[in-house]
Amino acid sequence: MRCAFYPGCVSRGGCPELYPSAIKVAARLGLELEELTDVGCNGAGVLSREVSDPINARTLAKAERLGLSTVMTICSTCTGVMGQANIKLREDPVYRASMNHEFLADEGLEYQGTISVKHLLWILNEDYGLDRLRTAVKRPLRGLKVSPFYGCYIRRPDAIVEGKPQRKQYLERVIEALGAEVVDFGGKGKCCGFPILTANETNSMAMVAAHTGEAKGKGADCMVTPCPLCHLNLDGSQPRAEAQKGEKIDLPILHLPQLIGLGLGFSPEELHMRRHIVSTRAVAETVRLLT
Amino acid sequence: MQATFKVYRFDRETGGKPGFQSYALDLPEDATVLDGLFKIREEMDGSLGFRASCNRGLCGECTLRINRGGRLACITRIASVLTKDREVSVEPVRNVLVLKDLVYDVETLLWKKIKSVRPWLDPARPEPEREYVVPDEKLRPVRNAMKCYYCGLCDEGCSVIPFDKTFVGPAALTKAYRFVSDPRDGARAARLRALGEPRGIWDCVHCFEADEHCPRGIEPTQRIVDLRDAAVAAGIKSGTKNPQVARHYDSFAASVRKSGWLDEGRLALETWGVRRIFDLLPIAWRAFRRGKLPVPYRHPKRKGAERIARIFEKVQGKHS
Repeated sequence: MRCAFYPGCVSRGGCPELYPSAIKVAARLGLELEELTDVGCNGAGVLSREVSDPINARTLAKAERLGLSTVMTICSTCTGVMGQANIKLREDPVYRASMNHEFLADEGLEYQGTISVKHLLWILNEDYGLDRLRTAVKRPLRGLKVSPFYGCYIRRPDAIVEGKPQRKQYLERVIEALGAEVVDFGGKGKCCGFPILTANETNSMAMVAAHTGEAKGKGADCMVTPCPLCHLNLDGSQPRAEAQKGEKIDLPILHLPQLIGLGLGFSPEELHMRRHIVSTRAVAETVRLLT
Repeated sequence: MQATFKVYRFDRETGGKPGFQSYALDLPEDATVLDGLFKIREEMDGSLGFRASCNRGLCGECTLRINRGGRLACITRIASVLTKDREVSVEPVRNVLVLKDLVYDVETLLWKKIKSVRPWLDPARPEPEREYVVPDEKLRPVRNAMKCYYCGLCDEGCSVIPFDKTFVGPAALTKAYRFVSDPRDGARAARLRALGEPRGIWDCVHCFEADEHCPRGIEPTQRIVDLRDAAVAAGIKSGTKNPQVARHYDSFAASVRKSGWLDEGRLALETWGVRRIFDLLPIAWRAFRRGKLPVPYRHPKRKGAERIARIFEKVQGKHS
């Protein structure tokens, strides 16, 4: 399967372990990625939509010009923000025409509304197939207890799941396909608090502590997330969240491609698992015992 | 259909310990949770207190927490929420003052917050002799927000309120949006300034829970994002007590405009300043030791960055 690849800013910025892990995993699985190198940040829900909509229209037009039908992302926020813009552009031809006319025409671009924006998680479940993933697994992650954490933008609003409510269970299905054990918990679909890290750090830290603490309390060895922004908060802010709550949590947070990579047989070092703020050593040791 | 209702019981007047009481019910397959509550009150326990009015999802009166999710009891079929043990838990929504069983003081859920956003029209000019004439299209967003019947489900579903009861919440912000969008209102800038202060629009995590909970299709989260976009377009990017929010927006936009993508190092420095960054040194040191912070730090311009800058210029041109 060939798709355009939109890696997002954070996979090479605040989470430099994500991009190389995703590239390795995609190559091992045989996903052919055509990386979009000359496109902009999608706005991440920060930039106002009058700026981010044309930037996203331009990205989608670039992918369309490559003759591809899917833009693959590795970030829930990229998926949601670009996906919501795409839904508006696809469903409202007048709006699309105005974006094309006002912003894209002078570059000789036009978005015709043929692209699907899909997270790697969705591609694995809907296009690649979990049976095929199962056969690619070289090291079943038996005994590893993993809590899923989605990130809001990949679950809501309703329009983003495009009539497929099962998208809200894909993470559990991938964890199981890799041979690991799902540790379900109430916070898996909630907000990680990252969007208000600047506006209200106290509330943001309370959310980190609540979700990581709940998963840990249910016996998770680690948490997996398809969103690097959630990762920045759940991993990067966990020590501050612990300090605010006055309680040690110490829950390693893995990126989705890292967990898949472990199942495919990559070593924790190859997946840059040392680059995390919360130590992933215990997960690495569990995985080493499996080989 | 057999179901066991576990209903929250408490009486503020007589005091005592709150708790859940179980009722075994036999109801038709298509019965709603409200049907179950009526059956309990009429046939089993006349002392049960709950609120209901239209019985068909038109009034927003019977907002409750059903199997730990905010729902209208009258349009929630029991079959759709029944657990494996055939149980249905029914309790008041969170963060409210409970008066009697399932009856709570709506002031504590909604009204206090709605009053805080000045929910009345502040005319832009002296009252005209005849009626205001407003084009239909300009009233469309106002009418959409006016569909709200104050059921409070958006606030019940809100991700922030369980952590911070002082957050003004999606219901009140939707009300604020209704006036900010009204072309007859003269206090738009003042409203946006007030909404930008802490506990207002910038404290929303835009998780879209409110949109999933709203039975009226108003999409309160999208309305909050609309308010933020309106504030940014008006140059009001924060309140006076949270200037870091404006610095964050400006730095984010400036780095994307300059290089095409987000410069997170610059964003942290410009948002927080050197002093705050100093506080974060222990984490930064840990990140550096683990190879998370690249040294030397570089943020090269991306190919096509000038095209992204051009988009910013065009949008800016629209406002000048």
